[in-house]
Amino acid sequence: MIGKDIIEFKGTKNGIYIHIKPDLKFEKIEAVLIEKMEKAKCFFKGAKICDIKCDTLSEEEKRLLKNIMVSQYEMDIENKTPDIIEEDINQRGNDEIFTGITEGKTKFIKGTVRSGQRLYYEGNIVILGDVNPGAQIIALGNIIVMGTLRGIAHAGANGNQEAVVVAIHLDPTQLRIADFIARPPDGDYEKPSVPELAKIKSDTIYIEPYLLKK
Amino acid sequence: MGEVIVITSGKGGVGKTTTAANIGTGLTKLGHKVAIVDADIGLRNLDVVMGLENRIVYDIVDVVDGVCRLKQALIKDKRYDGLYLLPAAQTRDKNAINPEQMQKLTNELKETFDFVLIDCPAGIEQGFKNAIAGADRAIVVTTPEISAVRDADRIIGLLEAAELSDPKLIINRIRVDMVKKGEMMNIEDMIDILAIDLIGIVPDDETIVISTNKGEPVVTVQNSLAGQAYRNITRRITGEEVPYINMEEVDGFITKLKKIFSFK
Repeated sequence: MIGKDIIEFKGTKNGIYIHIKPDLKFEKIEAVLIEKMEKAKCFFKGAKICDIKCDTLSEEEKRLLKNIMVSQYEMDIENKTPDIIEEDINQRGNDEIFTGITEGKTKFIKGTVRSGQRLYYEGNIVILGDVNPGAQIIALGNIIVMGTLRGIAHAGANGNQEAVVVAIHLDPTQLRIADFIARPPDGDYEKPSVPELAKIKSDTIYIEPYLLKK
Repeated sequence: MGEVIVITSGKGGVGKTTTAANIGTGLTKLGHKVAIVDADIGLRNLDVVMGLENRIVYDIVDVVDGVCRLKQALIKDKRYDGLYLLPAAQTRDKNAINPEQMQKLTNELKETFDFVLIDCPAGIEQGFKNAIAGADRAIVVTTPEISAVRDADRIIGLLEAAELSDPKLIINRIRVDMVKKGEMMNIEDMIDILAIDLIGIVPDDETIVISTNKGEPVVTVQNSLAGQAYRNITRRITGEEVPYINMEEVDGFITKLKKIFSFK
């Protein structure tokens, strides 16, 4: 088989895609690739590689090929390829717990969050408005509601037990911090009249007034 | 150029159709030229409420499909000049038209009418999307029930997402005696949750049932409280400032209720 049929370079606006025919030995592909690159060394220098497309190559083999291109031919790997982003998220989801509790990235939401709306943020969330029943707020960090919290709030969603939920009127449908879930008592209960803070204290969600009169 | 107002609620049975018929009639009585569009394809009843069922020849789907011209499908009201109804098809479903076609239709209606009212079906699916497609303003109808308020909240969120911001609220079927006893949600609580401007409160009134069954909008009944409420709403829609009819009563029970709650 002639080398040029095995590997094809396709230029796009974002960079080069490399298409490799399936069902070939890795050594053969490697050899053909090096041969092709050798012929046009200057052309490929500094070019961006978006992705290697081949149905039978493993991720590890693709990485090896990319390494050759980067180290020997000074090409760049475009990091925004979808598979790489996915990997990052998965890794973070599995081992890293967001720890930005005293500081860290924060999302501000202006206005009422209504039923059916779901907010997710990998940091803290501050809502300048109400959160209505049927709405969900999920943050890896803290949740602050500068209004009435009537919906569901989940702070420290990937395991941070230091996370807190604070609201001017804390009256949620359900409150979750890390792996703990709390709900208001059945039947009539006293609605909160002062701003309150929910946190984990000895393995339960504990609610206390946030402005202590001392 | 007229204005397209969609009347919606999310939940069914809260009075969208009755509201559309009454506001339409009310606006006509104020001298405006009004078209009411029934967007509830497959479950039409605006024509029944207005007493025009036996006049239907063509419907909205016929217009969209090009079977007839828009003017042919419009039904002139039997009592008021300047009031027209575009009925829904009964034998089709919501997927018979799409939002682009609806937008085209309302744009065409806007050219001849001062107000185009759209009676939105319940739900948040295709029918809702069709109904709001060509709207300039929205009126959300709710009743003092938790489920209706919850659905209204969802609808307001969807309206905002569709850039139909600043919808107005009608609270329908309020029963003063029940609110007084604390058995019904009070108006303040509902406005507090929904966080939009109120445009009218309609009391639960048996004259509505009577007039609906007769096919005569209650807005025309002079000694009806609900009729008076709808007359006020239509005037507010045209930009007039109208005080709330039973304001003393409403004020009275809200303060009373507040007292009850603060003692708890």
